Amino acid sequence: MLDSLKHFGRESWLLISASLVCGLLLAVANAALGPRIELNKAAKLTNLAVGLLPDAKTFAPLDPVEIRALDGRTEPAAVFKAMTDNKVVGWVFKAVGAGFADKIELVVAVDASFQKIAGYDVLSSSETVNFGDQIKDAYYRAQFTGAPVGRLTLVSPGTAKPEDIDSSIVAISGATISSTAVVQAMNYYLPQFKEQLEKKGLIGNGSNP
Amino acid sequence: MAATLDGQTGEYREVVATGLWREMPVFRMLLGTCPTLAVTAAVKPALTMGLCVIFVLVCSNLMVSLMRKALRPHVRILLFTLTIATFVTIADLFLRAFQPRMSEVLGPYVPLIIVNCVIIWRAEARASNSGVLVSIVDGLAMGAGFTIALCILASIREILGTGHLFEIQVLPKAFPPWAAMGLPVGAFLTYGFVLGFINFLKRKRA
Repeated sequence: MLDSLKHFGRESWLLISASLVCGLLLAVANAALGPRIELNKAAKLTNLAVGLLPDAKTFAPLDPVEIRALDGRTEPAAVFKAMTDNKVVGWVFKAVGAGFADKIELVVAVDASFQKIAGYDVLSSSETVNFGDQIKDAYYRAQFTGAPVGRLTLVSPGTAKPEDIDSSIVAISGATISSTAVVQAMNYYLPQFKEQLEKKGLIGNGSNP
Repeated sequence: MAATLDGQTGEYREVVATGLWREMPVFRMLLGTCPTLAVTAAVKPALTMGLCVIFVLVCSNLMVSLMRKALRPHVRILLFTLTIATFVTIADLFLRAFQPRMSEVLGPYVPLIIVNCVIIWRAEARASNSGVLVSIVDGLAMGAGFTIALCILASIREILGTGHLFEIQVLPKAFPPWAAMGLPVGAFLTYGFVLGFINFLKRKRA
């Protein structure tokens, strides 16, 4: 037994030590650069939100709301109130979908009453160029602009017109997983954010935005 | 003493010449072809990729060189991969923090440096059996050779594809940009023509 342990130590001490050193290096780099990366993401989110709600002049962050993520964990999520001259013109938040290569992070904007989707843009994705990354293209994104907040359905190309604004979203040919990820993210996150904002009394009957 | 210094200088000169020409990864060894084709549509991303590769090469060579006397054959590749992955992740985090726009342009190609065979090749061929200083110089020279090759290809493609270099207009506005140069076909054609030109020069010198 002791001989086995000695043999194990002799053969693997370098690997274990190197793993510890590399882990430490990564932890330090992540701690040092992580906050700046998050700031960059927040700045990008606001920039994209301006494109989705062009009438908005300011995007005021609200207190984070509790949202169930795709993996089932509950985590705080940021919501921005889009304002023009003290008038609410919409709400902006982040949604995440399970893409082909990695998770897809979306910026989603809805109207002031949370009835219609104002649009979405892609915050980050690693989808295949010319296939999955067509979720960034205006052709696909335009189908969501004005669509009702409710259950969206992904349909095959040719079974519906992409220019019709309704709850049917025409998939991108050759990129079904990425198309599905966007629709699933909408269906998963929109009801949750709506419920949270209703609870806070920010939308719905008797809202006081 | 003087002879030793001369010998050392000669060794470093040899290492530099190997990285910059004799075993230049992209044009002489045809290694690291994936980023060579993927990120050379413009000079800025090509230069950024080159700098990231230099950083990873120098750091991984340094670390492998420090560990070389304790390396055991069965964990060798595992240790190389661990080391390379660590420094690639640090480079990726740095880009996302300080060059977020460039990080987006390069996309998955920065994390993919982990599988760039130039780096594991230098860890195996140089750092695992050389001293620290030689390994660092080797990383710098090989990285510089890789970066120069990327910048040459990117310059040709950016000029012909857009009429610009570093986003500055260099061709007359009457020149119609060759859009194909920004696409994969342009990458393959440019790489092929430059390789052909280098082979032509080599034969002429021989």
